[in-house]
Amino acid sequence: MQPEAKKPLISLSGIYTAYEGDHAPVIRGLSLEIHKGEFIMVGGPNGAGKTTLLESINGLLKITHGHATVCGLDVRNKGHEVRKRVGYVIQNFTFDPLTPFSVKEVVMMGRYGKMGFFRRPSAEDQQAVERAIGMMGIKELEDRPIGILSGGQQQKVLIAQNIARDPEIMLLDEPFSNLDFLSREFVMDILEKLAESGIAIVLVSHAFDDLPDRDIRLVVMKDGDICFDRTCPSEHVEATVREASTPGAIHA
Amino acid sequence: MLEFIIPNNILCHAVEAMLFVSVATAVLGVIITRIGISSVGFTMAHAAFAGAAIGMFLALPVTIAAIAASLAVALLLGPLSEKAKLSVDATLGVLFSLSMAVAIFFISYMQTLGQGFHASSLLYGDVISLYREEVYSLALLAVIVIVFVILFYKEITALIFHRKIAESTGIRVKPVYYGMLFIIAVSIALSLTIIGGLLLYVWLVTPAAIVYQFSYNLRHMFFLAPVVAGVISVGGAFTGVTCSLPVAPLTAVVFGVVFLVAVLFSPKRRISNSKN
Repeated sequence: MQPEAKKPLISLSGIYTAYEGDHAPVIRGLSLEIHKGEFIMVGGPNGAGKTTLLESINGLLKITHGHATVCGLDVRNKGHEVRKRVGYVIQNFTFDPLTPFSVKEVVMMGRYGKMGFFRRPSAEDQQAVERAIGMMGIKELEDRPIGILSGGQQQKVLIAQNIARDPEIMLLDEPFSNLDFLSREFVMDILEKLAESGIAIVLVSHAFDDLPDRDIRLVVMKDGDICFDRTCPSEHVEATVREASTPGAIHA
Repeated sequence: MLEFIIPNNILCHAVEAMLFVSVATAVLGVIITRIGISSVGFTMAHAAFAGAAIGMFLALPVTIAAIAASLAVALLLGPLSEKAKLSVDATLGVLFSLSMAVAIFFISYMQTLGQGFHASSLLYGDVISLYREEVYSLALLAVIVIVFVILFYKEITALIFHRKIAESTGIRVKPVYYGMLFIIAVSIALSLTIIGGLLLYVWLVTPAAIVYQFSYNLRHMFFLAPVVAGVISVGGAFTGVTCSLPVAPLTAVVFGVVFLVAVLFSPKRRISNSKN
């Protein structure tokens, strides 16, 4: 897919991000542009700053220096407006088995930010939820409490929650960690379709086997910055990430 | 308000006060227990206790001093844990001990100054000598708490589900969270002289804990917790006033007994036993 040669959806320029209370930034002077409909894979060793990058893009973490524009909004001042337009599937979630919410309620929660205060879900919200549940193939689970589902099923629910939001960008942090190989293929197909529909997909993952069989843009992070950013065939992704992450590696 | 049913003014005010306090605290208790900030609520209750004791000693408005202390603890918690590089739990432990020490110091000191009667109401509560205006303010509090939950039900449920996910969907989590803390602080402060600083936490947690034994459904919990709390509290007020027993401690004991019975008869317990 060819990205549109227009203004980027995500434009980060020399950003620094640190966790609250920490002096040393995790992201150090990073610059990145992502366009509508792009499918980007982000790799790199543990602690390279991949999750921090995602949470800088949607403003969950505070960018201390640099410029960051997402969906035409300044992330540093309009973080919650940005988050209404950017989906984010988090890593490492755990739900109490007695969590008192059904799958359908959880997917609907994805719409709450857009609804704003004092509004109840409209017919349009209901349709978006139905569509997302159908797309993720979890219709038979919709009335079950999320807490009793398997990790993989919960992961699908969280992806459905983000699809229901109709985002312009979707950030996914290790979305395959709880999925079996069939589910991984299924989810990857859906991400491809979302990208084809114009949503920019930023995927942090170590699951290299299930990538689409084509050239994809690979971003490799090391020590809080990008050390590799190029398009490469999907079968070379794992080796490229490994090579680019190696200490002392020199990259173009 | 209920004089047409209960002609005895003292008993009437006691029943009304206990009813309104129990409705407000039970509704907030559902949020506190489900979000998992029970220890924050616990420490806020004791900080309010300390604030009220200081306010009483300095002849400042007791309710305002209690709200200020309660809120200060809730707001200081995060930054203090960060600065001290301590877990929130450990910081809560320190703040709780400090609050208790301050409260007991001032209450003991006031007793040596001959102000023991007023001070002891902060410890154990007092439903006998209530003014009509105080009962009205408690009724208003119950209404405010219910309206808050209805207005922000979406945001509250999202917060209960997962705070980070709620925030990532663009919900303005902070105003709702801090609004909730403010209402908890006001509720604690207004309930303090009725129930007492040592017992307040029973009202904040036990009704939700009782209902939780029988229901997974949040809407049911929001409805049943105040009903259970109201029935027990009104019963406690009736029995306490008519038999000249201390109302709040008596009611707190009943809450504890009902909780134990609820655990014994909980279908959830039966389910988990059958799984084992």
